[in-house]
Amino acid sequence: MNPQANLIFITSLLLGTTITISSNHWVTAWAGLEINTLAILPLISKHHHPRAIEAATKYFLTQATASALILFSSTINAWATGQWDITQMSHPTACLILTTAIAMKLGLAPFHFWFPEVMQGSPLITGLLLSTIMKLPPIALLFMTSPSLDPTPLTTMAILSVALGGWMGLNQTQTRKILAFSSISHLGWMTIILVHNPNLTLLNFYLYSIMTTALFLTLNTTKALNLSTLMTTWAKSPALNAALLLTLLSLAGLPPLTGFLPKWLIIQELTKQDMAPAAIAISLSSLLGLFFYLRLAYCATITLPPHTTNHTKQWRINKPVSPLIAILTTMSVLLLPITPMILAAL
Amino acid sequence: MALAVMLRNGASFHGGCCGHQVLLSLIGPLLSTSKLYSSYRRPGAEPEKKQSWQNADFSFKKGIDHLKTQLSLLKKEAQDYFLGPRGHSLSKHSLEQTRVLWQFRSQEDLNKWVISSDVEIGGKSKVYLKLGRNNQAALLYGTLNTEVPRDGETAYSGYCSMRSRPAVGSFNRKKYYDWSNFNSLYFRVRGDGRPWMVNIYTDPYFSHQKDDLYSYFMFTRGGPYWEEIKIPFSKFFLSSRGRVQDSQHPVWLDKTLGFTIGDKVDGPFQLEIDFIGLLNDRAHREEFAYETYDKNTPV
Repeated sequence: MNPQANLIFITSLLLGTTITISSNHWVTAWAGLEINTLAILPLISKHHHPRAIEAATKYFLTQATASALILFSSTINAWATGQWDITQMSHPTACLILTTAIAMKLGLAPFHFWFPEVMQGSPLITGLLLSTIMKLPPIALLFMTSPSLDPTPLTTMAILSVALGGWMGLNQTQTRKILAFSSISHLGWMTIILVHNPNLTLLNFYLYSIMTTALFLTLNTTKALNLSTLMTTWAKSPALNAALLLTLLSLAGLPPLTGFLPKWLIIQELTKQDMAPAAIAISLSSLLGLFFYLRLAYCATITLPPHTTNHTKQWRINKPVSPLIAILTTMSVLLLPITPMILAAL
Repeated sequence: MALAVMLRNGASFHGGCCGHQVLLSLIGPLLSTSKLYSSYRRPGAEPEKKQSWQNADFSFKKGIDHLKTQLSLLKKEAQDYFLGPRGHSLSKHSLEQTRVLWQFRSQEDLNKWVISSDVEIGGKSKVYLKLGRNNQAALLYGTLNTEVPRDGETAYSGYCSMRSRPAVGSFNRKKYYDWSNFNSLYFRVRGDGRPWMVNIYTDPYFSHQKDDLYSYFMFTRGGPYWEEIKIPFSKFFLSSRGRVQDSQHPVWLDKTLGFTIGDKVDGPFQLEIDFIGLLNDRAHREEFAYETYDKNTPV
């Protein structure tokens, strides 16, 4: 893509995110969300393929609806309480509409149907942006309004997200769709702990971003868009493949890798809050996610199929491998022992 | 009279605000001989058939039977979901390099295909599909006639085609084929030397793209020997309503729906098809055969 245009879009994404997370007034927050939505549309439809255009259109429609609902909820709150402060969201209807709107923005079940299609239609790096940067402003808004949100819809949506993300990801052969479902299940984990300890939501989000960035960049290096292509990466970049295995297991939440940390802390907090059944439900549902992470790991590392691939890019890696992959993979695998430091920083 | 018919058609088309409804009810009895839609139909089109809502069968027992079959299909789909992609295990999905899609051995295999010709627009071609000798192949045969129907608006005529019926799952939902493991189509045919056009329809999300077809050609040899023809997917070009588009892109294979074979030149034709399958041709390295960069860059 034209480098200047790319610069404008990336800068707009960062601008929109910064505006939203640093705002006190609802209208600035909404403006930041809209800037984000508009800036990422050309990145999704970079390739002018009908599937990419379809993904961009679906993304725009859902995000515009969600933004309108956010504005609507803040207007109801302003009408009822007379102020537009994000942290002073006290009207119950406004909070409910806000919860729905942010669920739509994030892709929480039952508002998740757009997410896999949009990920499938966009290139891998744009998928990365969709899973990480585009999730930050809505989660920041949830963090800021968490004291006034109703736990019931949030908990229901969270458990439903983890379960649906797990079940729907089971049978996929396209890696981008699998990553979309993994994102949906992680969002469920983030949402369930929001009302009890919002810092854990943010911790989960940061660690999820690190792991998923490592994963996306690894898949981007080998351009593995479906499982069959993933199976041939062992011959092209064996060390990167081994790192991919560990990153996937970390995403699945297995100790002693980093991904275990947020899950452990969330289950501990839920148990302390007397929500043991919710903790059991969410842990069992994330086993479904474990299945498809293991399937990805199995395809990438454990199988050694005797065939080559029909993808020309597999034979040569065009660009040098980004050093960011090394840093992020190390972080996504080795951060568990420094948990006390992370907890102190929360 | 014609104006009144148009008014009535217009009213029914726009769903009627109350003014139109009143007018409709006033002049309706006067125009009881006209129909609720345009009475022009193309010369080859079938005469008015029953509306689909008139076909509704309110028999309770048949409804229960239908529900039972759909539920059993749904149960099978749910079980297949847990086996792996498309009901086959992952090892089968990842190791398969060939797959037979349509094999013509019996009448029900033939029923998966629909034949059509330019009779729809008023032309005179004939096409038939039957099982070949010993039930070993399908024979698509007929006569092409490029005589243009005289309805004042058609410029070309003369086509016959065979289209695959879209696969339906339980409760008549669309089922998509996932061909992302493969990169070529594979035909075992015995033609008569005529070229054929192969079209793929990927079910688009937007109605603007519903006429999009990815096409390429199949040249048959005509000899008494069977031919194996491989057509890589990278060669398929995009056309919409028959016009080749300027901006091309490769066909995405994770959601294809159906398949056509067509022909054009006067005279009789015959094509025997043994099977149609998919192949992952390791030797084929091309990603896309046509240029994808901007051809008319703004200055």
